[in-house]
Amino acid sequence: MAAAAVMVSSASGLLAMLQEPAAELKLHALANLNSLVHVFWPEISTSVPAIESLYEDEEFDQRQLAALVVSKVFYYLGELDDSLSYALGAGPLFDPSEGSDYAQTLLAKALDEYASIRSKSLKAAGEGDEKMDPRLEAIVERMLDKCILDGKYQQAMGMSLECKRLDKLEEAISRSDNLNGSLSYSIILSHQYVSHREYRCEILRCLVKIYQTLPNPDYLSICQCLMFLGEPETVGNILGKLLSGSKDDALLAFQIAFDLVENENQAFLLNVKNHLDTLSLQTSAQTLPSDQTAATEPSGDAQMTDDAITPNGNAHTVDPNEVAHADRLTKIKGILSGETSIQLTLQFLYSHNRSDLLILKTIKQALEMRNSVCHSATICSNAIMHAGTTVDTFLRENLEWLSRATNWAKFSATAGLGVIHRGHLTQGRALMAPYLPQSGAASGGSPYSEGGALYALGLIHANHGEGIKQFLRESLRNTSSEVVQHGACLGLGLAALGTADEEIFEDVKNILYTDSAVAGEAAGIGMGLLMAGTASEKAGEMLAYAHDTQHEKIIRGLSLGIALTVYGREEEADTLIEQMTRDQDPILRYGGMYALALAYRGTANNKAIHQLLHFAVSDVSDDVRRTAVLALGFVLYNEPEQTPRIVSLLSESYNPHVRYGAALAVGISCAGTGLSDAISLLEPLTSDVVDFVRQGALIAMAMVMIQTNESYDSRVGTFRRQLEKIILDKHEDTMSKMGAIMATGILDAGGRNVTIRLQSRSKHDKLTAVVGLAVFTQFWYWYPLTYFISLAFSPTAFIGLNSDLKVPKFEFLSNTKPSLFDYPKPTTQQTTTASVKLPTAILSTYAKAKSRAKKEAESKAQEKAEAPPSEDASTSMQVDGVAEKKAPEPEPTFQILTNPARVVPAQEKFIKFLEGGRYEPVKLAPSGFVLLRDLKPTETEELVLTDAPATQATNAAAATAGQQGSGAAAMAVDEEPLPPQPFEYTS
Amino acid sequence: MDPKLVEVTQLFSRFKAAFARNDFDTCVDLLSQLKVRLTKFPSLPPSFQQTPNAVEELKIARDIYEHAVVLSVKIEDQDAFERDFCQLKPYYMDTCGIIPPSPQEYPILGLNLLRLLVQNRIAEFHTELELLPVTALENPCIKHAVELEQSFMEGAYNRVLSARQAVPHETYVYFMDLLAKTVRDELAGCSEKGYDYMSIAEARQVLMFSSDKELHQYIAEEHPEWEIKDGSVFFQKAKETQPCKEIPSLQVINQTLSYARELERIV
Repeated sequence: MAAAAVMVSSASGLLAMLQEPAAELKLHALANLNSLVHVFWPEISTSVPAIESLYEDEEFDQRQLAALVVSKVFYYLGELDDSLSYALGAGPLFDPSEGSDYAQTLLAKALDEYASIRSKSLKAAGEGDEKMDPRLEAIVERMLDKCILDGKYQQAMGMSLECKRLDKLEEAISRSDNLNGSLSYSIILSHQYVSHREYRCEILRCLVKIYQTLPNPDYLSICQCLMFLGEPETVGNILGKLLSGSKDDALLAFQIAFDLVENENQAFLLNVKNHLDTLSLQTSAQTLPSDQTAATEPSGDAQMTDDAITPNGNAHTVDPNEVAHADRLTKIKGILSGETSIQLTLQFLYSHNRSDLLILKTIKQALEMRNSVCHSATICSNAIMHAGTTVDTFLRENLEWLSRATNWAKFSATAGLGVIHRGHLTQGRALMAPYLPQSGAASGGSPYSEGGALYALGLIHANHGEGIKQFLRESLRNTSSEVVQHGACLGLGLAALGTADEEIFEDVKNILYTDSAVAGEAAGIGMGLLMAGTASEKAGEMLAYAHDTQHEKIIRGLSLGIALTVYGREEEADTLIEQMTRDQDPILRYGGMYALALAYRGTANNKAIHQLLHFAVSDVSDDVRRTAVLALGFVLYNEPEQTPRIVSLLSESYNPHVRYGAALAVGISCAGTGLSDAISLLEPLTSDVVDFVRQGALIAMAMVMIQTNESYDSRVGTFRRQLEKIILDKHEDTMSKMGAIMATGILDAGGRNVTIRLQSRSKHDKLTAVVGLAVFTQFWYWYPLTYFISLAFSPTAFIGLNSDLKVPKFEFLSNTKPSLFDYPKPTTQQTTTASVKLPTAILSTYAKAKSRAKKEAESKAQEKAEAPPSEDASTSMQVDGVAEKKAPEPEPTFQILTNPARVVPAQEKFIKFLEGGRYEPVKLAPSGFVLLRDLKPTETEELVLTDAPATQATNAAAATAGQQGSGAAAMAVDEEPLPPQPFEYTS
Repeated sequence: MDPKLVEVTQLFSRFKAAFARNDFDTCVDLLSQLKVRLTKFPSLPPSFQQTPNAVEELKIARDIYEHAVVLSVKIEDQDAFERDFCQLKPYYMDTCGIIPPSPQEYPILGLNLLRLLVQNRIAEFHTELELLPVTALENPCIKHAVELEQSFMEGAYNRVLSARQAVPHETYVYFMDLLAKTVRDELAGCSEKGYDYMSIAEARQVLMFSSDKELHQYIAEEHPEWEIKDGSVFFQKAKETQPCKEIPSLQVINQTLSYARELERIV
């Protein structure tokens, strides 16, 4: 019927009815308008004032309906603010769960509004409270409750986080069906989306509270939260409780400790350790009733300790329990001090070292004799390539070549040893002894090697300097040579990173006040390293001195130091940043960029990005602009996918400094990811017209591609060939050549077993790594600072440990083609083709390459022959051998890895743990240190890496050291690396 | 029959009776009751539900509103006229095919046009006109209004005034009287723009007043800004003169320079 299509053509009739004196008519008109508003809103909009006046008319009993109509009209007009305020006026008539576009949009608007008012009122601390509309609050609460009722807990959590309603968050979490899942979801949320540090702390505190009420809390997560909150006592208590629990609890405690260590927060770890000490003292003071007290002392949350203790505690006498506890305590202290993990890492890197000496040889031969820049770059490259492996074969084989390094080059060369021996805590000092300043005796060595050695000690003990601090301080006091002071300041800074040790600070400050350019620069950086992340008021002192001094070097050192002190403080640092970025002196502004970078590291904070971009395009100093762009890399490293997009425009800038910064920004934030976008962005920059841009791009590319091989991304192979070409090309600029040499080192860093990781696996920032990379970028001014990159290296290893912290035999699956994540192939063929281009070099290289290849083949054969009978079975080698044999056949789609194994970051998602094995991981982490629960504790364990031989070998070192040096090829897998024999390269 | 409809019909007949004996107070009272009753009919605009009584209901509703419009003219209430007309309009525009057109349609539409003309709402006048079909323009009621508008626009005010004699419907007289006032306002506006001053006698003639007193009263009420002195009316024009705006050259230069500087900084 035609009437079906009948519709009014205009709302004017209804609008006219609004003017009627009779209230019923108005009501009728409003009701009709409300249902027709989606059609006639343009017409109604002209009459909005009339409807508004109805709403304001106190006597009109349907004011809310009028408000609803007005709200809808405003919604259609796009005036969401007005619309929202009238919707609030509509009271119960506005139904947020209606599902219409209008309701949803307004709801979103309401949430936004609510969240922004909440955050404002939090900031204004009370004054803003009256602005909060109770009706708005009611709507939001209604919505949150509804989400919770509907089981949409994640939405509810997200919204309550956004709205800063921790009470609702708590409710949502506690009512959700998967408590642990919800909690970890909230943690992730708080890290990714909460940009305000204080608020994040509040959330975490709230989460910890919830965690603690759980009958079976996830201590791993709690401790991570507590670490962020900086509450070492609570962590200490938890650990203490777990240690006195069952064996599984102890395993968990160890796992927690390892996870904490991974975050590299030295000061925090020290506090936890100290607290554990005091705890154990307390318990031992009351030895007799120890069980009961241990169980009842931590009052509220002691149920599970009770359970754990009763079976083995009360029945027995106290003694065996005590012994076990003491044993565990020493173990956990070992872990917390970082020694255990460093030792295991060292063993892993040593045993799995796959660095390709041939590459270095090629570089060495291709270089011109007198070019000292490339010479020291090669030494540096070698150091990085062997970082942490303790393999210094290359240096030993080329002592004469090495001795060409003079003055500061000698300083660097000596410091390089520190990188190679990084983490060799026990032997570090003995290793460096020949170069260290001899107290009392007439110093024979040059100040350069002495300074370098002190710096090297710092690198060896980076962030774990308890044992070496004293020695470094003495060296600093006993010298008047500014070169030695330079090394000592850097070394002290590294060793006592972030500990805020007052005494050391005073010592370093005294050096600063001598106003010597060389020593002052290092002192500035050293002070910053000491105070890293403490935001202490010392920064003001440093800033004042930076204004006083005339030396640019000192100003630069200080401004970097100041930047380091505000590491991770986010908003807290804003005043200081403001002060620095507004300074007249471009060097301080430059420091301000670093301060921005470090304060907002890995937060992707919009404000910081905005500021940096502003400086990147508007500052008058090239240095500041370069640093501003580079700093973007630090701010964005938690979202590496974003960086190439953000800096892509800058990478096409006309200003080479900005291009350089863009390259490094990508290198820093995408380090170790092998991200395709990043590579595409860097590729054109590697053939830029300006030499230093090429340098930056090559280094950045190496940082991105570290630990990826050709079969994963074919461009890796291309890049390796490009590097070789640049190094071999006689006409290439020194700058880019240096970049290529360093890139080669970074690409194969740490014996091809490390990657650059700025975030721990639990998504916390790694202080050491970030600080290391920040100082590393200073190599633009000062080459020796290149070595700081070693702080950012973390081993790509899965190391499973049993309850004795030994490495048992344990197998797991990498569910993908082995070749995808394999080590790059050795370079034998490549060098032969390369040598064709260099007719003069044919004979020697070829011969050497050939003999080398032969030697390797022999040693491999030898190893294979040796492997089966040896009882500790170098299993990883065996597996590799098997893989090699299978190569011609169609490739298998999986690979069995044996503990400890190399697991590169991209491989992590393919890692599977096999069911039904003897061990079961405490935490399902695909890499890092993982404690393994022994399911068949009665059987004897088969261990892979043992540290027992180490001590014996040390004693025998003097006797065997001669062969050790050259015997790298025949390394025994199961031994701790021996301290190599000292060698002098000084004539 | 639906009791509600019966009730309305009865009420409406009472209204018509009162209307016939010109008892307007009763009419207004009854009318508002009627309107309230009408809101209970679901078949009326804007819902147009198809009830069995739809046709009847629509017809009576239209009738009521037509009477309401005429009533508002009679009690000389322009606001009520506009209100009632707006409510009546959907019955003319949207009900074709459901109920036959009303004989009153064109006279009332013409009346509305006239009202718009009186209120000098020329734009709306034309909007209304456009909505009408071409054939409607032939209708004497509509034609009357259109011609009036044309004369009005041409400035042939004498024709406008003389048209009062040829109204097509007795209700039109009220508006025609008002129209004279509108014409006067228009003339006053033109004089104000056209002359600096005018003698009182001339002004009286132009504005069609029979006595100076009426003129003075009119000026006092409508144009207090006019001045009467020396036997003339002075139109204050001086205050309207505004100097030609200066080119903000400095500002423009500054802007251009800053653009250039920004351009240079662009990476």
